[in-house]
Parts: sequence; structure tokens; C-alpha cells
Amino acid sequence: MDIRLLHPSDIPHVQHANITNLPENYFMKYYLYHALSWPQLSFVAVDVSRPKKTPYDYPRIVGYVLAKMEEDPPDGVQHGHITSLSVMRTHRRLGIAEKLMRQSQRAMVETFGAQYVSLHVRVSNNAALRLYRDTLGFKNEKVEAKYYADGEDAYSMKLDLGFVREQIMDELDEGDLDEGEPVGELGKLEDREKDKKAVVTKDGKKRKVRVGRGLGVGDLVEKNESQKA
Amino acid sequence: MPQQLSAKEQSLFRTVVRNYEDKQYKKGIKAADQILKKNPKHGDTLAMKALIMNSQGKTDEAFALAKVALQCDMKSHVCWHVYGLLYRAVKNFEEAIKAYKFALRLEPESAQIQRDLALLQIQMRDYQGYIVSRRSMLQARSGLRQSWTALAVAHHLAGDLAEAERVLTAYEETLKNPPSKTDFENSEAVMYKNSLIAEQGNIEQALEHLKAAGKHNLDRLAVMELRATYLAKLERKEEAIKAYRALIDRNSEYKKYYDGLIEAMGLENADHKARKEVYDEYAEKYPRCDAARRLPLDFLEGEEFRETANKYIHRMLDKGVPSTFANLKHLYTNPAKKEVLPALVQQYIDSGRSEINEEPKRNGDTSKGASAAYYFLAQHYNYYLSRDLDKAMGYIDKAIELEPVSVDFHMTKARIWKHYGNTQKASEVMEKARTLDVRDRHINTKAAKYQLRNDESESALKTMGMFTRAETPGGPLADLHDMQCVWFLTEDGQSYTRQGKLGLALKRFTAVYNVFDVWQEDQFDFHSFSLRKGQIRAYVEMMKWEDHLREHPFYSRAALSAIEIYVKIHDKPLTNGTNGSGDANGEDAAERKKAAKKARKEAQKAEREAAAKKVEPNKPIREGDSDTKKKDDDPEGIRLATTTEPLTDSMKFLTPLLQFSPKSIDAQIAGFEVYIRRKKYLLALKCLLAAAALDKEHSKVHEQIIRFKLAPDKDIEGLPAKSAEVIKSEFTLLPPSVNLSQYNDEYLSRNKDCARRTLSVLKVRKLLTPDSVGQCAKDVAGVLKLPTITSEEAQEALELLSSWKSSELESFRKAASGKWPKASIFKASA
Repeated sequence: MDIRLLHPSDIPHVQHANITNLPENYFMKYYLYHALSWPQLSFVAVDVSRPKKTPYDYPRIVGYVLAKMEEDPPDGVQHGHITSLSVMRTHRRLGIAEKLMRQSQRAMVETFGAQYVSLHVRVSNNAALRLYRDTLGFKNEKVEAKYYADGEDAYSMKLDLGFVREQIMDELDEGDLDEGEPVGELGKLEDREKDKKAVVTKDGKKRKVRVGRGLGVGDLVEKNESQKA
Repeated sequence: MPQQLSAKEQSLFRTVVRNYEDKQYKKGIKAADQILKKNPKHGDTLAMKALIMNSQGKTDEAFALAKVALQCDMKSHVCWHVYGLLYRAVKNFEEAIKAYKFALRLEPESAQIQRDLALLQIQMRDYQGYIVSRRSMLQARSGLRQSWTALAVAHHLAGDLAEAERVLTAYEETLKNPPSKTDFENSEAVMYKNSLIAEQGNIEQALEHLKAAGKHNLDRLAVMELRATYLAKLERKEEAIKAYRALIDRNSEYKKYYDGLIEAMGLENADHKARKEVYDEYAEKYPRCDAARRLPLDFLEGEEFRETANKYIHRMLDKGVPSTFANLKHLYTNPAKKEVLPALVQQYIDSGRSEINEEPKRNGDTSKGASAAYYFLAQHYNYYLSRDLDKAMGYIDKAIELEPVSVDFHMTKARIWKHYGNTQKASEVMEKARTLDVRDRHINTKAAKYQLRNDESESALKTMGMFTRAETPGGPLADLHDMQCVWFLTEDGQSYTRQGKLGLALKRFTAVYNVFDVWQEDQFDFHSFSLRKGQIRAYVEMMKWEDHLREHPFYSRAALSAIEIYVKIHDKPLTNGTNGSGDANGEDAAERKKAAKKARKEAQKAEREAAAKKVEPNKPIREGDSDTKKKDDDPEGIRLATTTEPLTDSMKFLTPLLQFSPKSIDAQIAGFEVYIRRKKYLLALKCLLAAAALDKEHSKVHEQIIRFKLAPDKDIEGLPAKSAEVIKSEFTLLPPSVNLSQYNDEYLSRNKDCARRTLSVLKVRKLLTPDSVGQCAKDVAGVLKLPTITSEEAQEALELLSSWKSSELESFRKAASGKWPKASIFKASA
């Protein structure tokens, strides 16, 4: 099992893993939107020991985390968000989900100066709750009633990433990375993306659960200004 | 002479444009009509009206009106631009590019037209055109970093890396102050430039650049990975070792990092001990790390292997890790390891070690220890390299006895039934597994898949429907299409193929084809989006992947299945409808034609009705809802299956297959089947030569070589002299003046232990001497005696006998059924 960054060519198999494991599914374009907007944040677990069947075999994805930065955060604080995370049931108990999450959390801090990471989880999903709360240290923010398309409530959870920032600082002190000086100006990154355009329309919780082609990047396209000139 | 508008009407025209942009289509049409009342031939207004109508879904009327607009005002860039936009909307990109170019010639200063043109050019991979467009866009907006990066990307994609690098450097030189450390666009541009330098082979320079400019880069992982790669390539070993160690400390589950470290350390491949020590160090440092414990099993041998494997297996079984077997089965290509692994598991059971398992058990979880060991052995005996299905069944039953509600164990039991050739039992057991955890979609997915394998199409869809979105109009099937669930579409199509419902089967495979079209189209928005976001490397990577998107096995599988059906329809046109049992051998040709005609008429009727529904006056089209789904007017695929030109239709699937998967022998074989029937002998030969180069002994290749030789001389003579010549000189797969029967027999003597190849020989023998069919059929039945025959091969023999309408069929069925008593495939079909 390799844990590594998600590449665009992985997407068909990531989509396959998602629709095999979870009820919340997305068009390929929504995966592309993640992979091309925050290519540092999404990771996959790959079954590398699988024998090849054709000369055109793609690596089989047995787990993935699809992550993003919140665009225009309402609270003004840069933070990451976990869009989707799943591991094939045949590959559980190896700690893959946790490892994927930790890679993503670290990159959120390093690359985008995230202060915290948020996610939603079904209130009935005990296994996931154990991972987020007990293993990774997420805190329950609130319950979002009927968040999921089938009417189930979600816990909205949050993890402060201050400890990741400290960990990076410590490593730099120890000289583990022989590059001197802190990475970027961690913590001062809030105003970085001030000139970016508003992109995803978030008008309703349901849409966040299952953002489709039309609702994802489709809305990111610049307006057709053909006749303005 | 184009009409001129009064001041008041000019302001009205601006309203039309605004209405269009705000998607207020009704208002826009109203305002346009107001202008047209007085100026019925005002081209720009007509064009705008056409554009709005197109957004309302009235494509045909929009095109007609846009043409009128052009007739009124050939010199209007607006009219040409709109014409291009309409073509763009129906995905006729070539025509759209032409129209945009006209518009641009009339209005060279228009940034909007230039931009629309550029985006289409890159979508169509017109690199040279794109460079020209990007250059002129840069001239118009040279203060914007995006403009420079875009031109660099254009050169890069066109293959001119040096020029791409120069453009990036030229922009950097315009900067007066260094960008802020948190400037993401700059951070990414630096990494992009670095990748360009390295891609040109200037590793030394790339490393220097990375050190200087990449010091504070925000993409830490990329910097660390590239640094390690460059140092290794430059053989700066001490530094490379440090760099790889830093990467492993960051992520200890990536084989590539360990390989890099060991290579940098200069350890000999044969020095197992030293290599093992490296992994041991990390296994100790990271107690939860899997890779450092598992990877040494790949190279260790003998006693060292046994010891390490024993430790690893104990740990995994104690924990009850379900993927233990899956993570080790690649070692089975080594015969010694294949023996050792199950023996270690057996020892684990015998030693009673499982009883003193120290791993904490949550809520009486018994899927660890002994049951996990039995589970491993069941998978071992279910695996094709070590298959003994009765043993596998015995072990899985033991595991289930210890843990009766384990979903995983029941899943494996279902797989064992599948390998027995009993799809019905397999489906039943998988369904049982599903009921053990009804809230888990993974097991739900497997249950549906096994239902499809057992041709329970309706039940499968019902199973899937437990997790598809309830509010999707059109139900689960529509949701699975929307969500691009390729595996389901493919399996559903293959099930319909087995059931003889060829219309529905083609419908599904075409749906997969369309998913790939959408995936290709999906790139479009990113040509502008990615430049705005500044994520250049990811964009370039996406572009290179999209260039060969259709090599993906998801595509090949559906395409091969569709081609097979089209060939089948060509050989035996459908008789009783398109989705019947397809088993009407007795009818004569005239009757067949009549039936096909009837089916076509039905399809046309359905089409007319659907068309009528579309224009129902009391169903208003909602404004702004331009992409309202068109109702499918051929949901059963009747029109697809009643085609009069199945081979032509198959080309849609075949062309991308041969273009993107030329090394797939199945693709070449399928290509031959289509081309030989179309009497395209040169193309058939091309496929045959490619297939033979991949595997000349392949059973199908053997058949095709002989069949090509048998191609009617008169057909070949009918070809242009040059083609006939080429065929003569290139078709060297057979020795000159060969006796085909003898050639066939020689192939048999080389392959007499292989059932599949023996069947090929018999097929060829019957072809060469049709009178020998009786003996051939007896010989087909004889393959059952081959010691290595698999149930799949026996099934192929059964199908061959059936296609010959041989009297051997029933006795063969009985004999096979005796040999594989648990298989359902040899039971007499209802």
C-alpha cells in the first residue's frame, strides 16, 4: 500500500472507490476541481501489489482523501475542508484513513496556511467518529439537521491545526529540513488570496453534500462576456 | 448595407446584451423583438436573439436565425462571434474556430473573441494556433502574470520547453520587487519553472534553482521530492540519503522513498541483510508503519524470508487485518514463498498462538486471531495460483463458524462460489453478506455486482437503489448515469449481452462511451480556470492525461463488449425484436428482414412520440434552465440494435481503442474481426500483424492468421494493385506455399495441453474441411479430458458445440456437469 498524492490520472479509480463505498457521489469534474485547485491536499492509498492485467492498467485506489480549502471562508479564517474520505472495506484496520488525513492536514498548513480543518460526518457513523474524534482529535462543533440527502443529521467537526504548525516549527529547529528559516510565514497567510474571485456558490446544505458538474466547476467558469465589448 | 440604429434603439440593444448575460432570456427576446420591429434586418440584434434562443434550448431555430443575421450583416463581428458560440454549444469545435477567426479578423481588438478562440484552440490541441493567440493576448495585457504563464504553457504543450522557460524568465525580469513569500501564484510559477528546467535534462541547474528560488516555497512536499530526485541523479549520495530520510519521516508508507534511500546508500541488491536493516530501523521508529515491515518480503529469500514473513503474518492476524492476503499475494509468483506463507499461517493456528492474542478485542470482536488465519487460508486456496476450491470452502466455513456475522468472510465465500462457476450461489451468499451490514455501501455494491453476474438485472438495480439518491428523476438508473458509475453500466451491459438483450447492452456501452466524452469535455473550463488559480503543474499534468484518456481500461472493456455485439449483429441480423432471446435460428432470411423492419418502425414511432412530447405547448420551459434534460427517446436501445450498418457503428468504439490501446491484444483482435468483415484487408492485416507481434501463439491470433489466408482471392485481386502488393509482401506470418491443415496440426502439437488452443485448432479444422464437423465436435468434447482445463474453457467448448448445433452438446453438458458438480453454468438452460 502506497500513500501518495492524488494525480489527475487517478481520478477514475478514485471516483470508483467513492461510489463503491459512499452514498455521496460526485462527477469527475468535481474531482478535477479539487485536484487542479489544491493539488497538494488530496491523497490516495494505492494497492501496488496487484498484478497487472493489461499494458494500460492504472493503479488501483483502495482509499482516498479529497480535500480543499474553503473559498471565501465566512469567518475570514483560512481553513481546509474534507470533502470526502473513504477506504475500501477490504483494506481496513491498516490505519490508512488516519495516514491520509495526516498528510492532508500537514499540507493544508504548509501550502495554504490553514488554521483549522472542518468536515461533516453522519451522526450514525461510529467508525468514522472514532477516527476523527479519538484518533485525530476533532471536536464537535454542532449538529446540522438533515444535512444528508437521505435526511440524516451531520456532526460538523473541526480540528485546530495549531499543533501541526508547532510540529513544523519544531522540525525546523531540529534542522530536520536543512533549509533554515520557517516555511513561508506560517500564520500570516490569511490575507493571501485577497484578489481571488468568488467561485463556488454555496446556497444550501444539500448542494454541499453532492456537488455536481453543473454546481461545481460549471459555476466557476467566467461569465460569458462575449457581447460586452 | 447594415441597418443603423437610433440612439434609443442602441440603448435597447445594450439591454438585450445585459439580459442575456443575466440569463433573463424572456426579457431579452422581448427587447430584441422591439428593435426588430423597426429594423427587421439588424444583424447584431438578430444574432443576439439567436444566442438567447440557443440558451433556451431552441438550437435549430437559433442556427437558422444566426444564418439570417449573417446574411443581413456579413461584416459584423457580433454575428460571426455568435455563429461560433452556437457551434461551440453543439461541440462542433472546428466550425466554431473558423467562425471565431472571421469575427477576430473583423474586430482584431476584441479580447473576448480572442479569448474564446484561444480556449477552443487548446481544447482541440491546435498548439501553434494557441501560441499565436496567447502571444497576442500577452501583448494586450502584459502587466498580468497570467498572460505570461499562459504563453509559457502554450510553448510547453507544443513541446518547446526552452522557449517556455524563456517566457517565464522574461516575466521575472520585469519584476521590480521580489514577490512576497506568501504569494501563491509566484510560489507555483517558481515550481513550474523548475520542472521545465529539469524536464530539459538540466538537473544541476534545476537543483541550483530549487535551492535559490525554492527555499521558501509553499509546496514543501514537491520541493523535498524534487530535491531528493535531483541529488540522486547527480549522485550526490550523502545529501540524497538525507533527503530521502526526510521524506520517509514525513510519509513512511511510500515505497518510492525507501527505494530512493537504498539506491542512494549504494547497497547491493544481493546484500539482503543491509537492506533489511534500513527497513528495520523505520519499523522500530514508526510502530504503526506497514511498509517498513512488508517491503523486505519482496526481496528476502529462504530462512530470512520465513522469519520475517512469520513476524509479519502474526502481527496482521493478531490485528485481524482483512487485506493481509491481498497485500502478500504478489509474492506467489515465487514458488517457494507460495509454499511458505500458508504453512506459516497453519503453524499460527496449530500453535494456539491465536488464543493468546494480545490485541484488545472490541465488543467481542472475533475476526482476529484464528478466524483471521482461516480467512487467509480460504483466500489462499481461492487464488488462481494456488486454487483448491473445496479446501477454500472448508476454511471459510471454519472462519464463519467462529465469526458468523462477518461481512468479509461471507464476501470471500461468495467469491469461492463464483470460481466454482456457480453464479447463483455466489449471488445468494453475497446477498446474505449484504444483509449483515445493510448500511455499508461497499457490500451493497458487491451484492449488486454479483446479481448482475447472475443476470438478475432487476434485483441488481433494486439493490443499487438502496444507496442512490432518492430524488433523482428517473430513479436509480438515472442516478447511476448521472454519477458516471462506469462499473455498473459495464456490468449491466455485459449481463444484457448474456441475456441476448443486445439493444439494452449497446445502450449501456454507449453510455460508457458518452461518459468518456463528458470527461474529455470537462477539461474545457480548466483552460482558463487553472491559469486564474495559478496551479500550472497540476493543469499541465491533467492535459497530458486527457491526451490519452481513452486508453483507460474502463473504456476498453466497454468498447470491446460493444464491438463484439456489433459483429454478432452483422453475422446474424436480429430477428424477433432487439431484446428478445435472440434464439430464432429457424427463420429464413426474408422473415428476418421483415422482423428487423418492424423493429425499426417501432423505433421510429417511439422517436416521433418523443419528439411530439418535447413540443407539448402546456409544458413551459423554465427560464435559465437551458440544460433541461432531453428525454431519452430510445431507452431500450432498439435503434442501436436495429442498425443496418453494425460494422460502421462499431467503428465509433474501435477507432479510439486502436488509437490509444495499440498494445492491447484484445483490441487488435477485435479490430481484425471488424475489418475482415468490412473487406478492409490492409487494415485487417495491420491489426493481425500487431496482434502477432504481441503474442503469435494466442489462440485467436492463430485462427485469424488462417482466416486471413483464406480471404477470397477475388476480393484481394479487386483491391488496387498497390494494396494487393503490400498484402503479399507484408503477410509473412505463414511460410510460403504452406499446407494449412498441416500448419494447424503443428500448432496443435505445440499446444495440445491447452484446452483453449485446442479449441482454436478444431475451429480452424472445421473451416478447412467442413465435412469433418462430426469428428471435430467429438474432439471438442474430448478437451474435457485435458488435465489443466478450466471451467471457463469448458464453457467456451460448450458454446462452440452449441454454435455448430452439434449432437454432442447434451452429452458434453452432462460430462462437464459431472466434472464441475458445483457449477451452475453446465446445468441445462431453461
